[in-house]
Amino acid sequence: MSATDVLPLGRFTLLEVNDRDVPLCLRLATSLAAKIAADLGADVLKIEPPGGDPVRRAPPSLPQGESALFQFLNTSKRSLVLDLATDTGRSTLVRLLDKADAALFEEPASIAALVRSRRATPIEIAAFPIEMNAALRPVSEFTILALGGLLHMVGEPERKPLRLGGHQASYAAGLTAFTGLTAVLAARDAGQMPPSVRVSLAEVMQWVNWKAASGAEASGASPGREGKRSEFQVVPCRDGHVAVVYTVTQWPATRALIGDRRLDDARFNTRAGRRQNIAELYAILTPWFANRTRAEIQKEAQARGVPFGPIFSPRELLATEQYVARGFLAEVAHPRLGRLRLPQLPVQWNGRSFAPRPAPELGLPELAA
Amino acid sequence: MSTAQKKRPLSGVRVLDFGLLTAGANTSAMLADLGADVLKIESGAYLDPFRVVGKIDDNDGWWNRSPPFRFTNRNKRGLALNLKDPEGQRIIRELARECDVVVENFRRGVLDRAGLGYAQLSALNPRIVMAAISSQGDTGPERMNVSFGSTLDATSGIAALTGYEGEEPRISGMDVNYPDQIVSLFASGMVITAIMEARRTGKGCFLDFSQREVASFTLGEEILAASADPAHPQAPRGNREEGVAHQDTYRCRNGRWIAVTLTAADPEMEAFCMAHDRDTAVSALLARGITAAPCNDGADLLRDTALAGATLARDQQGELVKGLPYRLDGRGITIERPAPDLGQHTWEVLRDILGYDEGQLRRLAEAGVTSTMPSVGET
Repeated sequence: MSATDVLPLGRFTLLEVNDRDVPLCLRLATSLAAKIAADLGADVLKIEPPGGDPVRRAPPSLPQGESALFQFLNTSKRSLVLDLATDTGRSTLVRLLDKADAALFEEPASIAALVRSRRATPIEIAAFPIEMNAALRPVSEFTILALGGLLHMVGEPERKPLRLGGHQASYAAGLTAFTGLTAVLAARDAGQMPPSVRVSLAEVMQWVNWKAASGAEASGASPGREGKRSEFQVVPCRDGHVAVVYTVTQWPATRALIGDRRLDDARFNTRAGRRQNIAELYAILTPWFANRTRAEIQKEAQARGVPFGPIFSPRELLATEQYVARGFLAEVAHPRLGRLRLPQLPVQWNGRSFAPRPAPELGLPELAA
Repeated sequence: MSTAQKKRPLSGVRVLDFGLLTAGANTSAMLADLGADVLKIESGAYLDPFRVVGKIDDNDGWWNRSPPFRFTNRNKRGLALNLKDPEGQRIIRELARECDVVVENFRRGVLDRAGLGYAQLSALNPRIVMAAISSQGDTGPERMNVSFGSTLDATSGIAALTGYEGEEPRISGMDVNYPDQIVSLFASGMVITAIMEARRTGKGCFLDFSQREVASFTLGEEILAASADPAHPQAPRGNREEGVAHQDTYRCRNGRWIAVTLTAADPEMEAFCMAHDRDTAVSALLARGITAAPCNDGADLLRDTALAGATLARDQQGELVKGLPYRLDGRGITIERPAPDLGQHTWEVLRDILGYDEGQLRRLAEAGVTSTMPSVGET
């Protein structure tokens, strides 16, 4: 254990309690929070229902048929199958809760009252705030994005609202639960009474999307998807696409970079003017991108301090020079699946990264403890 | 019992906050919400850009009225010290001796050049934890690259998976700047982890965050799947999601949209929505056990106090500010102080923490080391 002893959360014991029949979007949040703690050295025991966490069967899959999602979300954990519908299962859980510092679980759950009453501090992941009185309302990650107002922000104004790629609602909630967990551990560590933590996906999405509320409050008009009316747009280039992004103060540098004299027109001098003449502005900008590659565009733009964003697919990131140089994409040797490449925690601690250990295999149900 | 009376997880922790805009300033705001004493450092020559981009009028004191600044910097004290002046740098080093954490998201090298980098500050105060949040991280060939919000939608992989099916990729845009919003949710947890280590060992650390990596981290399973399977799809998927039978947004009779997730495609859904107003449609679908929600906009969020009761809050002046992304002991937060005016607490902090007297404070103000007004023209 000497390897984990030196990891920052190495002295903490955590439980991730996966009850049956929980919406997948909550499970992903719980699992992400516990995974981060596990990669940081906490001893995380994942309690799975008989048959295993359904995420073990969730897409995307690896060629071997295993779930890439499960492998990413459960690194560095141990697993124990417990049937929490049985007295034996519950009494085992109680014993484990009394040895743990904190327990993460999804709510509503059959074991919620139990988890809240033991030595371990509860970290609850739910879909909605209690005040919404919606504990039994059907939920998906997609409807959470709608409720938090993020769907309203992406796409063309006259066309349908769009979701962001990836599991953004679940993962933002997972990151939040991780921070809540560390607050609990810090309080316990300092001999204080730790706060209980409750994270709801709907609140996290609303919080992340605070500019919508701020904008509506300040101007009376809600910000919304602007698509081709936006000053920031995605344009094609020789080998893909680039996001045109610049701040107000970076406009002169952007104009100089594109080098088209038509941009000197006074109409384009202010943000308001550029927005009023957005189609003409983009008609001038677009040809500059068409015969350049993403790499050329990034190099020329960065040389002038202009933050254009070349669009990379997840696959292309595997070969990105910056990620390779920082060792961001770790290789995990899985005993059965072989070599897996996945992002490690997005932080370096005195220059050191936190190498994840493979996700646990599904064990046999614990008959007695 | 009010939260102020109870000892909080970060009671006794002091933060030197150079955080700007959302990524940096919100990380220290989350530490403040957990009880830390956060000292936000700006200078007359360099304001937090949120004071400028959120400007709502041109009258005197405009720099103290920006909504996005107010949203993000509540519960902090504010100092204005000139970082380019050796005297300003000396004062910051003195303050660093009295702090536990430094948060910064300057371009790489700025603090080092001012003699305020991790090497210099940890020599003065070995227990200090420095959180350096940057676009690309502190190392690597792209470490000096600049980015702004949606640049990272593009470079992280999120944009490649976002968009109408069969069309070009999309970014979250300037009213969301999604990658900026999630960094603090992770960074504050890492800082707390490092504070625990510093309390235990007496030794702080340098935490190097790449915002681009945080955004790519949210696509972990996609990166893993792509590395193992060259055929794994990597294009915008509209609202489709692998493993979900059917989900999409539908326009309702009143022109508003709803989101629906179904266990099987329903050819009548479009007509049903067009026949009802948004809220009626959502209620009817929920009553049938169908997963549905309104596509809320900012005005909806302001009205829905059950949903936004903790994530939005009011400061003592009655102004709307950011609340908490989670509940601690079931509650949101009380805003103990509104976002500071530029340099509002410079004298208070230098007097109380460093023991400066009136004469010293006056001399610093006269020399322009401290200030309460921007010394540069606004943009």
